[in-house]
Amino acid sequence: MAFPRRKAAGAWPYWALAFLFVVTMATAACEFASPGQPSGAADRSRWGTPAVFTPAHATAGDAIKSFFDSRPDTVAQPFDFSHQIHLSKGAVCTDCHTGVEQGPRAGLPNVNTCMICHSQIATDRPLIQQLTKMQEQGLDLNWNRVYDYQPQAHVRFNHAPHIRAKVACSTCHGNQAEQTVARRAVNMTMSFCVNCHKEKQASNDCLTCHY
Amino acid sequence: MAYRWGMAVDLDKCTGCEACVTACHAENNIPTVGSQQAARGRAMHWIRVERYYEGNFPDVRVKFRPVLCQQCDNAPCEAVCPTYAAHQNEDGLNAQVYNRCIGTRYCANACSYNVRFFNFFNPEWVKPLNLQLNPDVSIREVGVMEKCTFCVQRIKAAKITAKAEDRGLVDGVLQPACAQACPTTALIFGDLNDPNSRVARLSHSPRGSKLLEDLGAEPKITYLDKQPWHEPDTY
Ligand code: SF4
Repeated sequence: MAFPRRKAAGAWPYWALAFLFVVTMATAACEFASPGQPSGAADRSRWGTPAVFTPAHATAGDAIKSFFDSRPDTVAQPFDFSHQIHLSKGAVCTDCHTGVEQGPRAGLPNVNTCMICHSQIATDRPLIQQLTKMQEQGLDLNWNRVYDYQPQAHVRFNHAPHIRAKVACSTCHGNQAEQTVARRAVNMTMSFCVNCHKEKQASNDCLTCHY
Repeated sequence: MAYRWGMAVDLDKCTGCEACVTACHAENNIPTVGSQQAARGRAMHWIRVERYYEGNFPDVRVKFRPVLCQQCDNAPCEAVCPTYAAHQNEDGLNAQVYNRCIGTRYCANACSYNVRFFNFFNPEWVKPLNLQLNPDVSIREVGVMEKCTFCVQRIKAAKITAKAEDRGLVDGVLQPACAQACPTTALIFGDLNDPNSRVARLSHSPRGSKLLEDLGAEPKITYLDKQPWHEPDTY
């Protein structure tokens, strides 16, 4: 019987085989090794649990991105805030990020914080007028976080003890005087934290951050 | 000096109300798995209250024994973990690092007290219960082992405040959720390294014993109980 002969697998170019292999493995990894997301809202694979790659990365794509460090440095913000202008006029970080000395979170300012100064200063600028309008309408600024951890990273960070230990804001956040809308200037890997803790002889016990 | 966290459980005080269990679930974001999965042994309770019956009807006495991770000095779970996810930290806590855990479940098999729990599912909370989650505690995902941490988030917070105020920790102020919730103060938590702390004194009480002591795991939890040799007539 003469079936039309198909090309043997050996005739496939190697790069195509390699590519196929990678895609298959990534899909399989997604499907089977599925430690997952804490929210109940994630979509479900046929195994009843969300398709997730490793505890630290939600998908194979995320893992690859993180491996090649290709997370975008900028995050779109609801408002064109310039750190550069404010710092050049003598404002300091704690003026707006008021929680930083007391607790875990530095805090992102709301419209009212802006208006403490801007009810008087630069009221003729279009952006400030936009801000005034927002306050009148009872709207607030929905800032997006620039630095963030995946919940699966199980990392806790508390700002206050770092400030008390005299770690400069710029150590972790870069020189804001050069930034307009905040960028991710420093890549906060675990070794970044661990090295500093070693230098300052702070605890490097796992439970210091992971719990 | 480093701390060494331990607990004393007064069995003569425990009424079996399970307030500790509830408090622990609330504090540590412990999910429930539903009755079917619980029947298959997949329920998670970092602390449970075991019931023992003594005597025959109608002279039955019920005894309650809250069982949580014994924070062993010579922990069998640590030795078997291939990734060092279970390890002893500098405060003598038997720590579980969720990031490292790859879910072999060796530790749960090695533990003699049955206090380690595997996440067979991603946790889910019926709305609006998701709004009561404790932001200071990780939400563990499927494939990860978890167990009592002695409320390490509270220990951390207390230490940070104490350092900021340049003082030591005050005995009895720092409590894990179970001890705080216990209406009869049957659970006493504290620093075993401080000879004057309540828990250190109670740990040396003649009423004290350890759970499955002869296994040699050296637990840091002492159970206080009226011992038969105290009042032989009553037993
Ligand atoms: S809260 Fe106290 S009295 Fe109630 S079961 Fe737990 S240990 Fe016993």
